[in-house]
Amino acid sequence: MGKSQAVKYAYIVARVRGMKSKLIPKEMYPKFLNMDIPEITRFIGESEYKSDVDELGKKYKGTDLFEHALNQNLALTYRKLIEVSQNEANYIITEYLRYWDIWNIKTILRGKFSGASEDEILEDVVSAGQLRYRDLLEIIKIGTIEGVIAALSKTPYHPALSGYKGVLAEIENNLDKMYYAGLIKAGESSEDKFFLKFLKTEIDLKNLKILFRMKRAGMEREEIIKLLIPGGIELKETQLGRLASMPFPEFVRALEEFSYWKAIADISGELTSLINIETRFDKYGLINITRISYYYPLSILPVLDYIVCKKMEVDNLRMIVRGKETKLPEEIIKAHLVM
Amino acid sequence: MVDPSVVDPAIVAANAKGIIAIGAGIAVGLCGIGAGLGEQAIGAAAVGAMAEDEKFFGKGLLMTVIPESIAIFGLVVALILLFVF
Repeated sequence: MGKSQAVKYAYIVARVRGMKSKLIPKEMYPKFLNMDIPEITRFIGESEYKSDVDELGKKYKGTDLFEHALNQNLALTYRKLIEVSQNEANYIITEYLRYWDIWNIKTILRGKFSGASEDEILEDVVSAGQLRYRDLLEIIKIGTIEGVIAALSKTPYHPALSGYKGVLAEIENNLDKMYYAGLIKAGESSEDKFFLKFLKTEIDLKNLKILFRMKRAGMEREEIIKLLIPGGIELKETQLGRLASMPFPEFVRALEEFSYWKAIADISGELTSLINIETRFDKYGLINITRISYYYPLSILPVLDYIVCKKMEVDNLRMIVRGKETKLPEEIIKAHLVM
Repeated sequence: MVDPSVVDPAIVAANAKGIIAIGAGIAVGLCGIGAGLGEQAIGAAAVGAMAEDEKFFGKGLLMTVIPESIAIFGLVVALILLFVF
């Protein structure tokens, strides 16, 4: 007798709900804005990040310690999700967290391209995917981009990387498309149709961000279309093509017909800052997944909700500390926070 | 030879008792299966929650035994069958 949907997800959902209750509440972020960096580090050192801060305290100091502790905690938390889940949930989580493999590969390639040091690259590596930290350390030691690509030849990412001809953007784009194509395949093969719905919304939001960036940079239609990821729920290929060919003001007006408009409607008069727009879309994504995770409590959605919330927490903390370090005004840091 | 038209009251009473016992068994058995089905998801969730926060033990245990009331209903029906009829 096959297990029902409820039984399959009961354990992992209860577990992630428990984990979610330990996330930093959003009321804390305004308080962080009033604290100094040592105070924030101390608070973090006494929270869920304690073991990471203690472990890395010997090796790093100040904001570096903070950055590494956040990354390590994020990686360990995501890895824990893979370890405690079973069957279908495990498959979907593993596929979804391949995002971090792509992230790490991109970080290493960019680092090598710009001649960054090993330590600098390591600062941004989050080993939450299938590539282990030790393997990543070895890959970082390789000096050239070609060498890095050759080292990844036995991974599933190699087909996307093998076409490297000196332009990083091309292979990064291939990696993104490969990641989402793999996810859509995973979603279609699973019985859990909610995952596919969430995924397609995420693709739409990602495409919107790409469109805004490209429009702002004044890129041509063909160039933009090459970067867009197929498979969205509202923004199908025809709509994407239409949006890509419009000039910026018309493009913004055309967005009114999509449900994503409500995310940016109140700032539509002053769409000058891309950061503002991207934060709004991130927030929309966060609210969306949290909402639908309550509609379907015994599905993969609460797990994905936790994954998104945890990433936002780490991003927010990093934003606050980095912002404070560079003495950014409070309003600007606040505008970057997704909560 | 026993005349089939004449029914021995002792045999009828014994048969009735047997059927009542089978009924009581079915009541307890089916209710047990139902309670078990209900408990499997709750138990899994309770273990998950406890793994994250052991303070959840009491609540988790309480939630897990709620479907057990179905088994008690079965037991009550079985007892009524056995002792009232």
